[in-house]
Amino acid sequence: MKKLRAKSGIMVVALAVGLLLVGGAVSYTQETETVTVRCRAKPPMENWRGDNFLLAAEELNADLKAAGDPRRVEIELIQDNMDWGPYLSEFVLGFGAGEAPDIWLTGHEYIGAQAEAGRIIALDEVLKEFPTFNLIIDGLWDSTTYKGKTWGIPQDAEARPLYFNKALLKKLGWSDAEIAALPGKIEKGEFTLYDMLETAKKAVARGIVELGNGFWTRPKNGPDFTAFYYAFGGKTIDPATGKLVFDTAAGLKYYQFFYDAAQTYGSMGCLGLGWGDAWHPGVSGSKVLFWVGGTWQWAEWAELYLKDLGGEAYMWENFGFGLIPAAEKGDKPNSLTHPLAYLISSQCKYPDLALALIAKVSNYGPNTRHAIASTHLGILKGQTEYKFYKVSRLLSETLYMLDYTTFLPNNPYWGPYSTITYEALAAAVGGEFTPEEAVDFVVDGLQRELGDKVIIR
Amino acid sequence: MKKKGQTGERGKSLLPISSKAKNRTFSRLQGRLAPLAFLAPALIVVTLFFFIPLVMVFILSFTNLDMTNFGILEWWRPANWSLDNYAKIFTNKFFPKILGNTLIYVALTLAFFNVGMALVIALITTHINRQAGFAFRALWLLPRITPVVVYIMMWKALSGPAPMGIINNFLGLLGIGRGEYLLNTHPWVFVILVNGFIGASFGMILFSSAIEAIPKDYTTASKVDGATTWQTIRYVVLPMIKWPLLFVTTYQTLSLLTSFEQIMLLTDGGPRLYQTEVWALTAYHRALTSYFGNTQWGYGSAWAVALVVIGIIMAIIYLRVFKFGELVEEPKIDRL
Repeated sequence: MKKLRAKSGIMVVALAVGLLLVGGAVSYTQETETVTVRCRAKPPMENWRGDNFLLAAEELNADLKAAGDPRRVEIELIQDNMDWGPYLSEFVLGFGAGEAPDIWLTGHEYIGAQAEAGRIIALDEVLKEFPTFNLIIDGLWDSTTYKGKTWGIPQDAEARPLYFNKALLKKLGWSDAEIAALPGKIEKGEFTLYDMLETAKKAVARGIVELGNGFWTRPKNGPDFTAFYYAFGGKTIDPATGKLVFDTAAGLKYYQFFYDAAQTYGSMGCLGLGWGDAWHPGVSGSKVLFWVGGTWQWAEWAELYLKDLGGEAYMWENFGFGLIPAAEKGDKPNSLTHPLAYLISSQCKYPDLALALIAKVSNYGPNTRHAIASTHLGILKGQTEYKFYKVSRLLSETLYMLDYTTFLPNNPYWGPYSTITYEALAAAVGGEFTPEEAVDFVVDGLQRELGDKVIIR
Repeated sequence: MKKKGQTGERGKSLLPISSKAKNRTFSRLQGRLAPLAFLAPALIVVTLFFFIPLVMVFILSFTNLDMTNFGILEWWRPANWSLDNYAKIFTNKFFPKILGNTLIYVALTLAFFNVGMALVIALITTHINRQAGFAFRALWLLPRITPVVVYIMMWKALSGPAPMGIINNFLGLLGIGRGEYLLNTHPWVFVILVNGFIGASFGMILFSSAIEAIPKDYTTASKVDGATTWQTIRYVVLPMIKWPLLFVTTYQTLSLLTSFEQIMLLTDGGPRLYQTEVWALTAYHRALTSYFGNTQWGYGSAWAVALVVIGIIMAIIYLRVFKFGELVEEPKIDRL
């Protein structure tokens, strides 16, 4: 009996050792790869940009296991709300040090410069291996295409509407019906940019808003201003050569508009304000009649500035929105979309794993989570019919704006171009430049900074 | 019995001549190397983190290295060097404004705070109860020891619109202003106040110690002679603290010329285009920030190098005009 016990004891030990060895061998053949994901996101609204990857990694690991692939992924997520400039510097310098993230979420306009420098990889061939990417709206791929190749996967989109304050318009004598009809009139080109300024001027004259608060744009340089340049017929890129373009005739009208807005129509008292301490409190606090913002700011105002007053319910009661009006009666209004895109660094060890993760987060569920939480527009075909996307009234009501949307150019020299054209605008708004001087400043600055990389028309 | 190496009665060494020479050479070498060994750590740090970057910035200032050509442009090759960046600085349409801002910022902060206020505080706190004076001076050190971000956040809150901004509350009681965000309506006032409150403490400490070092006999004698307080300050105290006064003026001028972090956090050169932009801030903006990331390292370096050259020229002028050589030389009585 004792012998039997001893034998079975030995067998148990042997079995345990055997299992441990097999387990060890299995775990030894498994390789855990860390995929670094770098996202810019305003918390808490935009956190899904990066958080979706944490869930996607679990799904991908299950797929890898089923396919017998020994690799497993682990996500190192770096997500904050850094300014775009330092965000770009971080990537470029990180790349120089051999520490670029594997997946880098960024504005599509950076693709040109990064592709030229060889810091990101072209994705055309590998995209075919993931049918999920066929779900992305075709037009959005244009924003991630540079020199005929695809360099990124669109992550989100948005519209930049002209918002108006309904309560202030009512004070000005507008009826509910007139207010409700305004977006339609803008869409038909019946309410122009100068009509907006005239309305703003009246509001200032009657003391409904303070001087400077008739119409606001964003307070610092950024994409929104380009939509106004486009409204006056300006072009930013020459399709034949891919070079940047500055159109002096359109530029003059553009600078005249902003000069007039500030000097004659009691508007544009917004430049130089801090976002959090003055701009957002100004527009959400009903101190401004018209302003240009992004759809994503809707969620921001509801969550961070107007929660106590009822959040979105209060906003639907008091705020309205339409396209950016046309410059001339009968012209087409516009909006501007600035899609963010996931790019894959050329230092990424396993681009296939990175792409597999991006495919996972580019599906209806994850993308809708982000769209709803941050009030960004969806990027997928048929997403408006997706049950959980439909719950957002804002996303449904701003969707038509994509039909009127414009983009920034994908050109490596967009940065200096944008800085110079914005400085001229700020000087015109401040009364330091006449519109003609603003145009001269831009022409001189662009030629000096960019030489033959820009075409002056 | 004399041991090897001991000296003979008439001072003669018992060692052979070649050994003596060796020893002398060794000790001479040791004498020369020892200070260098002590200096080496500091020398290495200064070389690595000051001289090499300085040379690099100097070279960069002749190149057009920026975010678009980083990793592509061979900036170290003389073929890629030119004076274009310097030409761009001086032909920039906003150059006169930035230069003017810098002069206003340095002159006003220096006159009202870093020297003016520092002197007033030093004079007051050395003429009241010693402990009270010490406590008062300690309070004035608070802006300097507060982390700069916290300090600026405090000022932003102070200058906030009514009813939150404390300054607006007081102005409201006096019937002044409309409760607007003061940082947007009067940015220069705050730029100077914010920097001045920090800068005043440096001069305050130096002036206080210099005033306290003046023998009491002089001030007592002036009082006995019927001098008023102002006359005592003007004809007794100020001449005796001439050296610290000139040192603080020089040092703080150079320090203000290169400082920008408070302005960056407070107004970032705004609110209107280049409204409070000073030279050092422009160098930072051009080299390291931009909305779309077109940071121009070469151009920004040129702004920085030009500022260094201005600083050196000003330092030489100060040294000559204020005759620092005479101020620091030994008293003539000691040389007799």
